[in-house]
Amino acid sequence: MPRAVRGLLIECDPSIKSMILKYDEERHDYIVEDLDDENHLVIKESQLENLKYRLDRDLDEKIMQLDESESE
Amino acid sequence: MHTPDRRESGVALRGRIGPRTRVISVAAEDLRVFQLTMASATSRPLEYLEGLPGTTFYKLYQQPSTALAIFRRMLPDLAKCFVMALLYQKDPLPTADLEIWVSSDSKKERDNAISILGRLHVLSTTLTGENVRAYMLTNPFAASLRQALMGAEDSQSFGLFSQAPEHLRISVADLDEYARRQWEGVMGYMVGTSAFSGQRDTVNLSKGVKQLLQAGHLVEIRGNRVDITKDGFGFVLQDVNTQVWHILILYVESAEAIGMDSVEVLSFLFLLSSLELGQSYDKTHLTPNQTRTLADLTDFGIVYQNDADSTRFYPTRLATTLTSDSSALSNPVTGSLTGPVGQTSGSGSGFIIIETNYRLYAYTSSPLQISLISLFTNLKYRFPNLVTGKITRQSVRRAIEMGITADQIISYLLSHAHPQLRKHSAAQPSNKGVPASILPPTVTDQIRLWQLERDRLRATAGFLFKDFTSLAEYQGPCQYAAEIGVLVWKSDRKRMFFVTRHEQVAMYLRNQKAGGK
Repeated sequence: MPRAVRGLLIECDPSIKSMILKYDEERHDYIVEDLDDENHLVIKESQLENLKYRLDRDLDEKIMQLDESESE
Repeated sequence: MHTPDRRESGVALRGRIGPRTRVISVAAEDLRVFQLTMASATSRPLEYLEGLPGTTFYKLYQQPSTALAIFRRMLPDLAKCFVMALLYQKDPLPTADLEIWVSSDSKKERDNAISILGRLHVLSTTLTGENVRAYMLTNPFAASLRQALMGAEDSQSFGLFSQAPEHLRISVADLDEYARRQWEGVMGYMVGTSAFSGQRDTVNLSKGVKQLLQAGHLVEIRGNRVDITKDGFGFVLQDVNTQVWHILILYVESAEAIGMDSVEVLSFLFLLSSLELGQSYDKTHLTPNQTRTLADLTDFGIVYQNDADSTRFYPTRLATTLTSDSSALSNPVTGSLTGPVGQTSGSGSGFIIIETNYRLYAYTSSPLQISLISLFTNLKYRFPNLVTGKITRQSVRRAIEMGITADQIISYLLSHAHPQLRKHSAAQPSNKGVPASILPPTVTDQIRLWQLERDRLRATAGFLFKDFTSLAEYQGPCQYAAEIGVLVWKSDRKRMFFVTRHEQVAMYLRNQKAGGK
């Protein structure tokens, strides 16, 4: 019997997806369905802001920022 | 505007490069931005209307002006064909007969048209005497549309011309000026132009306007300070027609809260949209609620009246372009606000020059425009008629954090591009039919890249259909979802698919189940 589940379809790079999978391992509170391809998964609607915040924070830490040249 | 074949070549090209390389900008990309902004003008009111219950539609469609407005503005061309074909049919038309009108290549467009007609409660299905499924137009709609086309004794639905003698005739130019001033006043209030020294006569906004903006979460009022919200930023960069619809939908929603009938307000808005610019209309036959609405809309510059007690009112261009198919983008009111679109409209009002080194020069002294530009630019110098600055990674990221998208920035820059930029791009040899882009491609690419850096994932709300027992069971609904345009993702291997709306797919599954047994 087919079912319909509410959620947010997330499209992202494989690297981001693996980060989300890692977050989910802690308490299993993000993912509704792992769609088993490189860059898609379905997550709970309520977790989007939280997820974005965590990703931005972690990525800003890990990725080296180019210096902003303000020369005129 | 753009010629059809230009647009086609743009779309084809985008298809070929594929999503991965979408940041490689060509003029086709700029065209796409326009199509997006123009499409959003229709989709917002459409989305709102779709959410209304069927009984509301029944009441709305009692008015010929509403039926005509829905027909004019909300329906795709193919849906218009269907409505016209069915309008004077006495008996329902079997579904199979309607389907053969459309060639099999355009099945998607056909299903999309029928789906929209269904969602707007214009088309319904019944069974004919021989138990065949058939389409028919729903009744208050069909009767009202016929009345709108053929005329009827009761012509109040399209407003009454004012018969009272006029002492002072208001010209179209006056109305445009009034609409522009009021609308810019509203925008100015939102972005807080007072910070840029109010050297111009400021428009006094009524309390109602401010409350509406606050209720719509476009601004937040803390004590005496007005802070614009994320939604508000998105709002001020949109084209005027979209903005007006946004405001009107907020207005209808808030009308309910203060005890006005939303149907009455909505049908009055559709009535306003069908009036003629430059004519004055009689106010005396309006209901108290309609008079109240009229007063509120006056503050926004959507209608004009000499004073609240006068017996006549004038619709401005903001009202008359609401449901017309010709987009409000190229008219004088918006011309002064958002600048001309494409090369066709007057070349006087574009004022922004961008160089390939990300420097921006804006020939303007308007506090509104300066504060809009400062949202995504580091401004450096200000002269009496010119501000200059530079678009940097930092300034764009700041804008994106406030909720402004790269596309919004680019479409703003594009619609305000200085005539020199347009002339320059027109002089460039076109590349296989694709015109050279107006903005420097390096800049538009970079703005998009800066956004991508920030937006690492794309989220679409909707529903995942899963647990299909066989491939055959999965394929039918999946294909149907693709045809009505709600499918976002599918996997044949996992027998799952993701849709933005589930109602019609669920209905399809139920029908299939009922038919199968």
